[in-house]
Amino acid sequence: MGHLSHDEFFIKLADVFSTRKTKGHGAVFLTQKRLSYDQPSKTPSDQQQEEDPLADLHPTQPLPVLVRATNGKGKADRAAKVKLSTVVQPDELEGFYSRYAEVCKAGMSALKPRDRTKRKAKAKKRKGAGTA
Amino acid sequence: MPYYAKSEDWLQQSSLLLQARPSTTRITTRYHLKPARRVRKPKKSDQDATAHEAQLPEAQEKPPRGHLVLKTYEPHSGVTLKYKTSKAAEVTRLIQMLGTLGRRMAAVPVVEKAEDEGMADAPPTEADGAGAGSGVQTPVGQTQQQQQQQQGGGGKGKKKKGGRR
Repeated sequence: MGHLSHDEFFIKLADVFSTRKTKGHGAVFLTQKRLSYDQPSKTPSDQQQEEDPLADLHPTQPLPVLVRATNGKGKADRAAKVKLSTVVQPDELEGFYSRYAEVCKAGMSALKPRDRTKRKAKAKKRKGAGTA
Repeated sequence: MPYYAKSEDWLQQSSLLLQARPSTTRITTRYHLKPARRVRKPKKSDQDATAHEAQLPEAQEKPPRGHLVLKTYEPHSGVTLKYKTSKAAEVTRLIQMLGTLGRRMAAVPVVEKAEDEGMADAPPTEADGAGAGSGVQTPVGQTQQQQQQQQGGGGKGKKKKGGRR
């Protein structure tokens, strides 16, 4: 499966999150790593690596980042498995992550919301103390 | 494979790992839902049981709990660093951290690093850049003032509490 464009990736990722929400169980996996596959011109070759084993510590130019998302279905449920992947070029990182944060925040709705009840109780206490 | 109590610690250790092994380290974010805990059935002997039963359906329809686990893994050395949270307020900050780590993966110079280098360059040229030095000093003074103000506020709060007791 080829890599998706950012727009497609985010739309499908939102779908993955919403199906989790409706089913009420399950997981979403998001992975990111340096894209080292199929990059002959940018990553050091074996020969180069023999000469300088630490060549990947100081690449000559920025490398793209690979971002994957799955719904955590294994071999048992291959038909239901959703695999998404996209490549983020170095100059697109900032824009990608701001959108990524939005999608994730919207999708991860089952996390505990910030507890405002305690704060309200405290505020009431303070008010009470001020008048008394 | 340790779980870190603070996301900042996780970020720091992960970025160190990424510095050492930038091309093999991967970061996995797992968001998983668990059905809400079952509510104990109330004893039927009590008269209050009817009231409890009225409340029960609401309790059972509690939305499932979500958890977020960040994991940095390096397959060659087997290093695993983890951070776990269940607070929605942290999501944005954590994704920002993923972004900074993504910058390291991409070998894009990190913004903070550039600032450090700028600071390192600054000391030798102190004599030349006296104007620049004063420019740096003013914000420091402002922060001190702010701290003093905060301290003053804190003192007042304490006084109030004391009076109440």
